[in-house]
Parts: sequence; C-alpha cells; structure tokens
Amino acid sequence: MLKNIRSKLVLTPWTIWLGLMGIILLSGLVSGILVFWKGLGITNLTDRVPWGLWITIDLSSIALGAGAFSLCAGVYLFGLKRYQPIARTATFVGLIGYTMATLALILDIGKPERFWHSMVYWNVHSLLWEVTMCVILYLTVLIFEAMPIIANLEWLRKRFPKIASLMSRVHHYAPILAIIGLGLSSLHQSSLGATYGVIKARPFWFKPEMSVLFMFSAIVGGISITLFATMLSSRLTKKAKVNDALVERVAQFVGYLLIGYFYFRAWDAFAQTYTYDPGRSEGLHFLTKGPMAFNFWVGEMLLGMIIPMIILLYKPTRTNRFWRMVALLLVAGGVVAFRWDTNITGQLVLMSYVPGAAITYTSYAPSLIEILTGSAIVAYGLTAFSLGVKYLRVVDHTLIEEEHETVRVKATQPVSIL
Amino acid sequence: MSNSNVNRRDFLKLTAVGVAVVAGTQIIKDAGASSGAPKGKRQWAMVIDQSKCTGCNYCTLACQAHNDVNPDIQWNKVTEQGMLGGHNVYLPRPCMHCEHAPCVEVCPVKASYYRDDGIVMMDYDRCIGCRYCQVACPYDARSFNWEKFEGENPAVPEWGNPEVERRPRGVPEKCSFCYQTIDRGLELGLTPGVSDDATPACVVACPTGARMFGDLNDPESNVSKALAENYHYRLRENLGTSPRVYYLPAEVEKMEA
Repeated sequence: MLKNIRSKLVLTPWTIWLGLMGIILLSGLVSGILVFWKGLGITNLTDRVPWGLWITIDLSSIALGAGAFSLCAGVYLFGLKRYQPIARTATFVGLIGYTMATLALILDIGKPERFWHSMVYWNVHSLLWEVTMCVILYLTVLIFEAMPIIANLEWLRKRFPKIASLMSRVHHYAPILAIIGLGLSSLHQSSLGATYGVIKARPFWFKPEMSVLFMFSAIVGGISITLFATMLSSRLTKKAKVNDALVERVAQFVGYLLIGYFYFRAWDAFAQTYTYDPGRSEGLHFLTKGPMAFNFWVGEMLLGMIIPMIILLYKPTRTNRFWRMVALLLVAGGVVAFRWDTNITGQLVLMSYVPGAAITYTSYAPSLIEILTGSAIVAYGLTAFSLGVKYLRVVDHTLIEEEHETVRVKATQPVSIL
Repeated sequence: MSNSNVNRRDFLKLTAVGVAVVAGTQIIKDAGASSGAPKGKRQWAMVIDQSKCTGCNYCTLACQAHNDVNPDIQWNKVTEQGMLGGHNVYLPRPCMHCEHAPCVEVCPVKASYYRDDGIVMMDYDRCIGCRYCQVACPYDARSFNWEKFEGENPAVPEWGNPEVERRPRGVPEKCSFCYQTIDRGLELGLTPGVSDDATPACVVACPTGARMFGDLNDPESNVSKALAENYHYRLRENLGTSPRVYYLPAEVEKMEA
C-alpha cells in the first residue's frame, strides 16, 4: 500500500508547487488555531494600531477581486461580449479574493463566533456594517456567477450530470448577476475607502476622496491581477488556452485607467501640501518624506503607476508578453502598497487632545503569527487558482459557454436568432 | 384564481415594493439616530478642575477596582500636559461620553449605544471585536481585551470592590461613568454627584476634589454651577463631538492657593 503511494508520488513541478503551498497552508493553519486559542494578544496589534497586516490583506484581496465586477459589467452590460473568457477568469479570481478577505476578517475580529451579529443587529449608519452586508451578498452573487465554472469539474460532470448542467445553466442569468454585482461592488469598494474617510478623529484619513481612490484603484488592480494570472498560467501549463490579442487589448485599457488613477492619487496627495492642518500635514510628511516614503514614491508611484503605464501604453513593450506581465504585476503590487500605506499611516500619527500640543508617532510591525497566517491566506488563493486552471478550465479562451453559442449566418440574409 | 387581476408576477412585484418601502423607512428612521444622543430627563456630565489635579492617580486605581479592570488597562488615563508657573499640569481622560459619539456611529452591530441620560454604553455580549470604534475614537478612550483578565485584581480591596462583570477576551472596553453606581443610587433616592453612594468612583476617590459630577439639566447641580461660573473647555472641540467631560483650565493663582 505504502509502496503504491510512493510510486505514484512523482516529483513534478506541479507536485512540488502543491507541496510548497501545503507547507505554508499547514503552518498558517497551526498559527490560526493558536490565534483562536490564545487570542489576539499574540499579535503585534495594539490599542494604538488595532488594524494591521490582516486588515491590509483583507482590503487588498477585496481590491484585487474587483476585476470580477468590472469585467462582468463590461461583458454583460456594455456588450463587450468577446472579453467573456477573461470575465470568467476574473469571476474566479473574485471568488478567491472575497473568500480570502473573509478568512482574514475571521482571524482579525476578537469574537469570530459572533460574525453573524452584523447580519442581525443592523447599524445602517456604520460604513463597516454596509461593507459587511455588501461583501456577504456579493460573495453569494460570485458563487452563482462561478457555478458554470465549477460545473466544468470532470468528476461532477460524470457523477452528477444533472446538477452540473443545472449549474452551467446559471449562465443564462449572467447579465442580471452582473447588474447586482456592479451595484454591490460599487457600494462596498467605495465604502471601504469611506470606512477610513469618515474618521474625523484622524485628519489624514478624513476626506471624501478616500472612496473614489479605493474604487478606482480596485478596478485597476482587479483587472491587472486577472490578466497577470491568465498570462502566467498560459506560460506554465497547456491547460490554459489564451487568446493573447484579447489580453493585450484589456492591458492597454488598464494603461489608460492608470492615467486616471495616477491623476487622482497625485492630486489627492499634493493638494494637502497647501496648508498646515494638524495631523493631516504630519501624515502627509510621514507618507512622502518619513518611514513610508519608499513605499509611496517607489511602490505606489514609480513601480505601481508610472512604469506600468509606460509599458502598457507603448506598443512594443505592451506586445512583449514578458514586459506586459511585469507591468500588470506591478500595478497589483502598487494597489496593495496603497492599501498598506493608507491603513498604517493613519494609525501611526497620534493626535494630541489639546490644541497646540505636539503630535506623536507610534510604530507597528506584524508578528510572526500574523505573517504566517497572512501567508497562508495568500497561499490558499494561489492554490485555489492553480487548481481552477488545472481542473475547471478557469483560463480557457477557447471555451464557449453552451448558451452563448454563436449563430453562423450569411451576411446577405436576414437573421433570426431565436 | 381566475377572477383575480393579480397574477403571480404582479404579486411578486408588489411584495418586492412593499419590502423595499418597509426597509427604506426603517433605514431612514435608523439613520436619524445619528443626530446624536437622545435627550432624557437627566444629562450627566463631569467637570475636571486642572488647577486641583495633582496627578496622584487615585482616580485610575479606584476605577480599576470598582469596574474590575485589568491592571494593563486604564479607563481613566492621567497624563502630563505641561508646566504652568512651576507646577505640573495634568490631564485626566475618562471616556468623554460624546453627544455625537464616533464610536456609536461607526459600530457595525450597535454594540456601542447612547443611554437617554447621555452615557455612551457598551454591550459586551453583542460586540464582535472589529475595533472600528477604537480607530474612530478621537480620545483614545477605548482599550481592547487582547488577553483574558484572570486572577486577582491588585486594586481590590484597597481601592474598592468590583461592581460589574469582567469583560471577556476579544472586546474593547471603556469608562461607563460608573452607570451601575448611578442607577443604584437613583433607586435609593440619592443624588449622583452629591451622595458618594451614587457618584462615579473616580470622583469620590479624588483627594483634592478636582472632579465634579452631576446633571446638566439641573441648574443647581455642582457641574452646572461650575460651568456657569468658570471658563471651561473640552478636548478636540473642533471635531463637533460635544464631549460631556468639561475641563477648567489650570490657573497659577489657584494652584498656589
């Protein structure tokens, strides 16, 4: 028996990959159990910095999951039908992103067993309540949207053909799901920004632009990570079948979006230099000249926006698949850097209580437990995506959904589709 | 039903509209609650005279005993504010019990709420521990229970005896103006701020009488009188939170008296 298993265990890149992910997942699982058992005391979170690495992972995975709603809206609402295969990939990435966010939140809240309270005890005035409700509802929408993808599972098709065909028929409702998804995502992607934007106590956050920036960066980052994942899978496995012309067109679109994102981010940051505002000016200084300066100038601005903008808008570099992939990954990294910088800077600048008293600073670095569990959440996302590519045809631009078969007609004849 | 004009589709539409209207009214009604704390018959407030405060920390210790607070946590933090005429000036900070409390507004589950006497309360059984209130509080009034508080409370019995349950691990806690003392005192017919048995522990413990407590709706209460007679200020007043903790700024003549 044991010999049998050993003979089956061949070291291929795939098994090595799964093994590596397995190790990270296992260490994360152990650390996660420790967190639930020992409590949040074993993290480096404090009363001064109650939101740390996990919240950044939560914000980032929701942002990078935004490709799902943006591309589904494009395909099913704005009639860009030929990008449907990319929207499929984006839907799966979105499902992974939102489940990652849920995992991070369950770790982060002090009373995980009471997570359902937000569904029962409504405070409609709370941004976080709205975000929670939208995320729960949108996760449900994503599960429906992903049903035709999950129906591709070979085992399911053979074992339960009726269920599988029922699941693929959910595709009929894709436009309706896209409308609901667009509504819910517009609400919570911008409300995540507003979660910070309404905090009067911290002038660095307190501004309406937060919602716009979060929404805009989510669309840019979400589409980028979807395209990057698509291209990477096509490099690594024959299971992924990619129409590169489609990817290139969307990548160019990302290039144009980046101009808008760059404009908003730069305008938002530098408009703050015009007057001294206690707390806000210190925050800006902290971000652009202090400990966050590298993150801001290099991570967000240079690598996250300017360089990928050039690569994606200049045809010779865009058509080069390697450089295009680099650019797309950089954009996603820049969005994560924006989330980290925003969350941390607002908390590290401590306001005084009396006018004129000095503003002080605190510090935060995640503990090993936070890093291990955080890595495991990311590893879960990577594993889920690679399994999807291998078994669910998540990246397959040759796949045409049954219900969306094209009708062949002669150009001179009148057409009846029904 | 053949004789009815209402078919299934219409019925569903009507139901959907009905649900939307009910939900909408509820949301608008609830959103109205953000206009601040309800104005009940009594409005508790605290006045702290900085000329009298010597930074002895008796208030903090009495608070920790009466509310059974973890020694790592302080509901009432006393910090140094600076020097005035060779004297140290201290700034004791309990929860400000804001009239427009950011913590109440941001809590996703309404675990923070207003009592009609203005006290900002915490429902520790409802809280999910997301810490949004901590992030939103302009006064650093909230402390999270990162660990379970087990074992003996070093402030007991020297500084008093616990009157409330210990909070569980995983929720933030804060000063409650000793609501348990106020409520019990009122039941016994006592006046909070006048009778020690109806007054917050920190006010009773203060050896220099730097703290006053009472009803803002009663013009004869010591807080109403103190505010009418003295220049006073509140912390971070520019935020519009309207704290119920007022400060009488330190004056050199009073400190030397």
